[in-house]
Amino acid sequence: MKRRDVAVSVEGVVKDFRPGFGLRVRRVLHGLSFHVGRGEVFGFVGPNGAGKTTTLKVLMGLVRPTAGRASILGVDVGQTESRRHVGFLPENPYFSELLSGRELLHFHARLANVPASARARRVDTLLDWVGLRAAADARLRTYSKGMQQRVGIAQALVHDPDVIFLDEPMSGLDPIGRKEIRDLILRLRSEGKTVFMNTHILSDVELLCDRVAILVAGRIRYEGAPHELLEGTERETDVVAARVAPETVVALEERCGARLRGHGEQLEIRVKEKSLQELLAMLLAARAEVISVTPQRDSLEQIFLSAVEGKR
Amino acid sequence: MSATAMAAIAGNTLRESVRNKIAYALLFFAIVMIGSGAIVSSLSYVESNRILQDVGLAAIRLFGVALAIFVGIQIVHREVERRTVYTILSKPISRAQFVLGKFAGLTLTIWLQAACMGVAFAGVSLVSGAPLAWQHLAFGLLVGVELALVVALATLFSSFTTPMLAAFFTTGFWAVGQLTRELRDLGAASGQPALKLVTALAFRVLPDLQSFDLATEAAHGLPLTASDVLLPLAYGFGYTTLVLLVAVAIFERRDFR
Repeated sequence: MKRRDVAVSVEGVVKDFRPGFGLRVRRVLHGLSFHVGRGEVFGFVGPNGAGKTTTLKVLMGLVRPTAGRASILGVDVGQTESRRHVGFLPENPYFSELLSGRELLHFHARLANVPASARARRVDTLLDWVGLRAAADARLRTYSKGMQQRVGIAQALVHDPDVIFLDEPMSGLDPIGRKEIRDLILRLRSEGKTVFMNTHILSDVELLCDRVAILVAGRIRYEGAPHELLEGTERETDVVAARVAPETVVALEERCGARLRGHGEQLEIRVKEKSLQELLAMLLAARAEVISVTPQRDSLEQIFLSAVEGKR
Repeated sequence: MSATAMAAIAGNTLRESVRNKIAYALLFFAIVMIGSGAIVSSLSYVESNRILQDVGLAAIRLFGVALAIFVGIQIVHREVERRTVYTILSKPISRAQFVLGKFAGLTLTIWLQAACMGVAFAGVSLVSGAPLAWQHLAFGLLVGVELALVVALATLFSSFTTPMLAAFFTTGFWAVGQLTRELRDLGAASGQPALKLVTALAFRVLPDLQSFDLATEAAHGLPLTASDVLLPLAYGFGYTTLVLLVAVAIFERRDFR
């Protein structure tokens, strides 16, 4: 990746915390290194306590790295200037209850040096984007969790930043809210923005991210495009069928390596993707009734779990 | 350092503080106490005006300090505890701008509340026929400086400890600040060189808040020289600046975990 194509750069970042007043040091990040290209949607995945939020805090200048360096758009994160073109949504954002949504966005627009002449228009546009126009003048204490999340996204975008950091953006949202956030991320990508997303939700990573890094215990286990990570892994498919004769069952097991489980009159069959066509042909030839065919979508999850368990 | 960002933080702090109803309870009691000065003074046959003004001016100072401590101790801690500081510091502003903006906003709030008390005091004095002179203005000016210093101390302690400890430290500093001259004089009179050195050092390090108290001069109409006002003014400005520098230095080093 050329230097000018890099939006976020993390090189050998170490972070030690000192719990309590003792001399004991707990290392949270172990020489973390990765890069995020401009215009990418980057998924930062890991179990609780892996160091995802700490990494994000290092990038936002909220936590100072013990060693190593990190930069955003070529500017060291220790400098205030590094946050000039950056938007940030923390996990479970909280804002002053005494302000209205509109006041909060005006406040953040001023902090981000949005010119006074453009401020009101920009705030109105964002309130429309996140669907809070009707509640714009209500105090934030009356907002639901989903509304807090949406106003949080609006404050992150109020100065039209080039790089947006989202910490668990789907956290606490209902399915509709999650879809809205997914659509927003896709929209940001189409506008050429760089999106750095901490998340637990692997289906979102597969759907949204150009590249992904899996962080386990402060170390990156994987980094690459989701399809690269999935290469070499065999996907499986679940087939549900009825009226399957006993001799067909035996043949399915022997020839397709299928794993079967009876469920009333129905038979649940799990088969590797490469044997699926042969299995379906056998079922149809045996005049069995195929009720459903469901590809397993948890391959990234399997990789994730393997990484967490240290198997890969 | 961008003044716009600092002004935004100060303005926002002012707006939030003005909307915080709890602070109004203290203000209410302060005004009640100022008003009660008229009742207390009416019970006295002699120097009723002086009693009215003693009570009123003491109420302005004490309730002003109580408000400054009450609101000030939460000022930075609450932003960190509730993580509202995350989104603020993710904007292109420095931590120094944040701390100074919070200090400015809170000082404006306290001055506004002190001004309300001042108006109530002036109203009660005028109704009761107690004289108002320029000494009262000098008193108000120095109380304003003292309150700014107390807010700075509260900001300092709030930047690295809990509200409870910040309240304890700020109140302690303010209380000791009323006694530093006596401490120094006591040390000097003790005849022990070590004690003299310690109390002299304490006098230099701890705030000398007695110099801000012109209540007696105002209530009694005693003469004041320019230096009685200008020296405490310069001292208060310098001490507040130092306290804020320490607060910024501590806040700069903090990790927001």
